[in-house]
Amino acid sequence: MRSFLLKRLPSGLVVLLAASFAVFLMLRLIPGDPATTLAGPDASPAAIAAIRARLGLDEPLAAQYLHWLGQVLTGDLGPSYAIGGQVSGLIGDGIAATAQLTLAALLLVVVLAVPVALLGASAGRRPWAGALRALTTGALAVPPFVTGVLLVGVFAVSLRLLPAGGYASLGDAPDLAVQYLALPALCLALPSAAILARYLQDGLERALAEDYVRTATALGVSRRRILWRHALPNALPSAVTVLGLQVGQLVAGAVVVERIFAWPGLGQLVEQGVQRRDYPVVQDLLLLVVAGYVTVQLLTDLAYSWLDPRVRAL
Amino acid sequence: MGAQIDFTPALLFAQSANVLVQRLVFNTLTRYDDQLRPQPELASSWEVAPDGLSVRLKLREDVTFHSGRRFTADDVVFAVKNLQNPVRSAQLRSTALTVTDFRRNGDFDLTLVLAHPVSNLFDLFEFMIIADPASVEDAVAGTRLIGTGPFTFTDRKPGSSLSFARNEKYWNPGRPYLDGVEIKVIPQAETLLSSLKTGQTHLSYAVRGKDVATLRSDRRFRITQYDTGSGAFYIGANLAYPEVQDRRVRQAIAWAIDRDRLVEQALGGYATVSAVPWPKSSPAYREQDAAHYRHDPAKARELLKEAGVGQLSLPLAHSAEAGSAAVAQVLQYDLKQVGIDVQLQPVDSPTMQKQLIAQSMPALWTLSHGFAQLHPATLAVSAYPFNEAKNTSRFSSPAYTDVVQRAWNRADSDSPAAKALYQQVTDVLLEEQFIIDLAIAGLVEVAGERARGATLNKFGYLNLDDAYLAG
Amino acid sequence: MTVLSVPFAGALRRPVRNRYVAGLLTWRGVSGLALVGLVALAGLLAPVLSGADPNAQGPEALAGPSGAHPLGTDDLGRDLLSRVLHGIGTDLTIILTAVPAGAVAGAALALLAGTSRAADLVVQRLFDLVLSFPGLILGLAVTAVLGPGRWPVVIVIALAEVPYFGRQLRAGVLVQREREYALAARVGGAGRARVLLRHVLPNAVDPLVVQGAVALSVGVFIEGALSFLGLGVRPPEPTLGSLISGAVAYLDTAPLLAAAPLGVTAALVLGFTLIAESLNRGVRG
Repeated sequence: MRSFLLKRLPSGLVVLLAASFAVFLMLRLIPGDPATTLAGPDASPAAIAAIRARLGLDEPLAAQYLHWLGQVLTGDLGPSYAIGGQVSGLIGDGIAATAQLTLAALLLVVVLAVPVALLGASAGRRPWAGALRALTTGALAVPPFVTGVLLVGVFAVSLRLLPAGGYASLGDAPDLAVQYLALPALCLALPSAAILARYLQDGLERALAEDYVRTATALGVSRRRILWRHALPNALPSAVTVLGLQVGQLVAGAVVVERIFAWPGLGQLVEQGVQRRDYPVVQDLLLLVVAGYVTVQLLTDLAYSWLDPRVRAL
Repeated sequence: MGAQIDFTPALLFAQSANVLVQRLVFNTLTRYDDQLRPQPELASSWEVAPDGLSVRLKLREDVTFHSGRRFTADDVVFAVKNLQNPVRSAQLRSTALTVTDFRRNGDFDLTLVLAHPVSNLFDLFEFMIIADPASVEDAVAGTRLIGTGPFTFTDRKPGSSLSFARNEKYWNPGRPYLDGVEIKVIPQAETLLSSLKTGQTHLSYAVRGKDVATLRSDRRFRITQYDTGSGAFYIGANLAYPEVQDRRVRQAIAWAIDRDRLVEQALGGYATVSAVPWPKSSPAYREQDAAHYRHDPAKARELLKEAGVGQLSLPLAHSAEAGSAAVAQVLQYDLKQVGIDVQLQPVDSPTMQKQLIAQSMPALWTLSHGFAQLHPATLAVSAYPFNEAKNTSRFSSPAYTDVVQRAWNRADSDSPAAKALYQQVTDVLLEEQFIIDLAIAGLVEVAGERARGATLNKFGYLNLDDAYLAG
Repeated sequence: MTVLSVPFAGALRRPVRNRYVAGLLTWRGVSGLALVGLVALAGLLAPVLSGADPNAQGPEALAGPSGAHPLGTDDLGRDLLSRVLHGIGTDLTIILTAVPAGAVAGAALALLAGTSRAADLVVQRLFDLVLSFPGLILGLAVTAVLGPGRWPVVIVIALAEVPYFGRQLRAGVLVQREREYALAARVGGAGRARVLLRHVLPNAVDPLVVQGAVALSVGVFIEGALSFLGLGVRPPEPTLGSLISGAVAYLDTAPLLAAAPLGVTAALVLGFTLIAESLNRGVRG
C-alpha cells in the first residue's frame, strides 16, 4: 500500500505543478490587465503605474510566478485585487456555497432517479413506461439554462412559492437556505437524474430478463419482490459508478446554474475573477479545483488497489 | 435593491459601475437640484470669490462619523487631497488638482484656494464623498466604510450582497425612514427581473431598457427615467486608422444610423435620440444640435462618394454583454446599407478598458459615456473619450483644446458668454464626429409597488434619506 | 452541461457493420436517425425553406407569425424562421468540426500512449489535467484568451472531448493488446506500431463510435451554454444557443421566440442520445 502511494503521489504532484503553470500563463495571456481594470475607465497613466507597482505586476513574470507558488506553499494567499477581501475567505465562502448546491443536487438526483427507474422497470411493456422514458429523455434534451428560467417563471414569478434567486447559508438560517436552495438544486439535478434513471432502468430491465428471474416468476415469487430483492442489488453497483461520474458534471453545471440563480459559488467567483482580472482569486481557485480532482483520483486508485491486489503490482 | 454588478471597493472614490453605495454611507458637500443649482448638504453655505480664485465653505456643525468622531474642516481637506491621489483614479481629479491651498478659518469654516477659476467646481462637490480619513485604506479594501451618511455599512458578501443598517445619529432629523438596506448582486438580467417581479427586490437601476419595456404594462411597477444622461451611447472612431481619418467618412456614419430604430429595438425605447452628448438639462443643450444628424442613408452614401470611398470594411468593438451586442448589431446592419461592412468584435470590459486607455481601439467601437450631465467642461476635461489632451480617438486640434480650456477656466457656468463657448465645443464635436453620439439614456428606476422616495444625484449616487416602503 | 459516459463492455469482435446496423435498426436507432436527419435537412435547405436573410433587420420587432414571417420576428425585426434554420447549420458545422477533431486528437494521444510506458504516463497526466478543469471553466478560460467567436467554441468542445475519447481508446487498447491475435502478430515479427494500428486499433474502436454520438449532443449543449454566458459565436450569426439565450428575456411576452430554437435543440440532442444508446446496445450485442 505504501509503495503504491509512493508511486502515485509524484504523478499527482506533477499534474498540480503543470496545472499551476498552465493557470498562471493562461491568466497572463488574457488581454486586458488588472491595473487598468482597477483604475477605472478614466484613469491616468500615473494611476495605472501606481497600481501596478502596488500589486507587484511590474516584476518579471518568473518572479511573479515564484512569488505566487511561495504564497500557495505557505498557505498565505493574500488579498484579492478587485473583488475585495482575502482570497482564502472568498474561496472558502465560494466552496461552501457550491458544496451546498451540489450536495443538495446530488440528493435530488438520487431521490428523483431511483423511483422513476423502479417505476419504469416494473411497468414492463405497459404504455406509461414509454411516457416515463419520454420524460427522462426530455429532461436530458433541454439545456439547464432554459430549465432554470422556466423553473423561476413557474415557481417564483407565477406561483410565488420560492424565491427567484439569492443565497442564504445553511449555517445561518437553515429554513431560508432551503428555500433558496430548492430551485437551483432542482435545475442542476434534472439532467443528471435523467441519466441515472435511464442507466438504472436499463440495468433493472436487463436483470429482470435473466434466467433466474424467469425461474423465480415461474415459481410464483411476486414481481415486486423480484425487483427489490434480486434486480435492484444487481443493477445498483453500476448505477453508483454512473452517479460518481455525475458528481463532476454537477460541479461543472454549477457555473450556469449559479449565474441564473445569483448563487455566489465557485462558478460565479471564477467568472467574476476572470472578468475583473483578479489574478490571485482565479489562480488559487483553479489550482484548488485541480488539487481536488487529483486527490479524488488518488483516493479512487487507492480504493481499487485495496480491492484488487493485481492493480497494486502495476 | 438589485444591482447587476458587484461593488468594487478599490473604485470607491471614482465613478464606477456600481455607485449605489456612495450616498448611503457617505455624504457630499453639496447637491444639485434639477436646474443644476447646488443645494446644501455637509456644506451649509458657500461663497465663490469674485475672481473665481477661491471658495469659502461653511460646514454643518452637527455631523458625526459612524465612528462617533465629529466631522470638521480637516475632513474636507483630506477628501480633496484624497481625490488628488492618482491611485484613487477619480474622474474629477483634474478639478481637484486646481485646489492648491487650504485656509482653515475655524473648525467648520474653510477656504479652498484655486490655481485658476474652474466652471465645474460644484461638480467636484457633488462627486466628492467625505470619508473618515483614518479608515480610507480599509474602505478601498472593502472591509470598513465609515462616513457620515444615513446608513452604516454592516456586511459584505462579495459577489452576493452588501448590507447596511440605519444610522441612528444621522444629522438629517428623523431620517432615514428605512431600518436597513440590502444591495443584492444579481448578474443575470432575467433573474434580476424575476427578483423584482416576486417582490424580493424593491428597487433597481440595473434593469436593461429592453427588459424595462417588458414591464411597462405591469401595474406592479413604477418606472422613472432620470435625466442624468449617465449613459450616452456612441460610436467612437480611432483616427489612427486611415479609413476613418477623413471626417466625411465619420459624418457619413453619423447619417447612416437609424437612431430611432436603435432606441426602439435595442434600448427598449428608454433613451432619447441625440447627435450631441448633452442631455436636456445641460446648459449646452440645444434641440437643433441634438437633431443635427438624422437617418439619411442617401446623404451618407453621397459623403462617402465625396471622400472617394467605395466599399469599406471596418471592425467594430463592443462589449460582449447582451445589451451592447444588440446595439452593435443594429449599427452593423445600418452601416451595411450604406456600403460599410462592419465586423463585430465582442470584448469583455477589462479588455475594452485597456484599449480605451491605451488608445488601441479598433477603427470603430461602441460604448456609452457619462459626464455630460454636469457642467459641459467636465466632459471635455474628465471623460476619456472627449478629453482634449488625450483621448481614445487620438483626435486633437488646437481649436478644440482652446475652446475647451476657455470653457473650463472660468468661474461662471451659466452666463451667455459661457454658453457661447459651450456652443463652440458642440460645433467642433458635430463637425469632427470623432465621437458619434447616438442616443442618451438616463438611469431607469424600476421600483416595486411599495418602494417610495428614492432619488439619485447627478452621478447616480443613490439617496435613500426620504425613502420608505408603503403599506 | 451534461456528459454521458457510456460504460463499455468489451465484446468479442463480430462483423462490424452488422452490429452497428442492427443497433440502428431498433426503434431507438430509427427514431434517433429520423430526428437528426430531419433537423439536419432543415438546416441544409435553409435558403430554400425561407427566402428571408437571417440577418436582415426591419422595423417590425417582436412581431407575431405572419405571411412574411411564418414564425414572427425577433427583437431587432429579423425573421425567426430563417434564423432558426441557419442556426441549425451553424451548430451542425461547429459540432461536426469539433467532435471529429476531439476524437482524432484523443485517439492519437491514446495510440501514442500505447507506444511506450513513458509516453503513457505523460498522456495520462495530460488527460488528467484537462479533465480536472470542469468543462465550462475551461470554456471561460479559452474564450477569455481568444475572445468570443466560432473557433474558440470549436476548440472548447474539442478540448473537452479529447480525454473522453482518449481514455476510452486507451482502455480498449490495453485490453486488445493482450489478446491472442495481437500477441501472435507480435511474435510473428510485426512492429509495435504496426500491431497497434493494424490489429489493435480496429478492435478497440467500438466505444469511440458510441462516444462520438454522445459527444455530438454534448457539443450542442456546450455551444448553448457558451452563448448563454456571452462567450459564443459572434453576433449576428445565428446559433441555436444564442437564439435561445436571446429569447429568454421574452419568455412571457413572446414565447415562440424561445420555443422554436428550443424545440429544434431538443430534437437534435434527443436524436443524438437515441443514436448513442442504440449503437451502444448494438455493439454490446
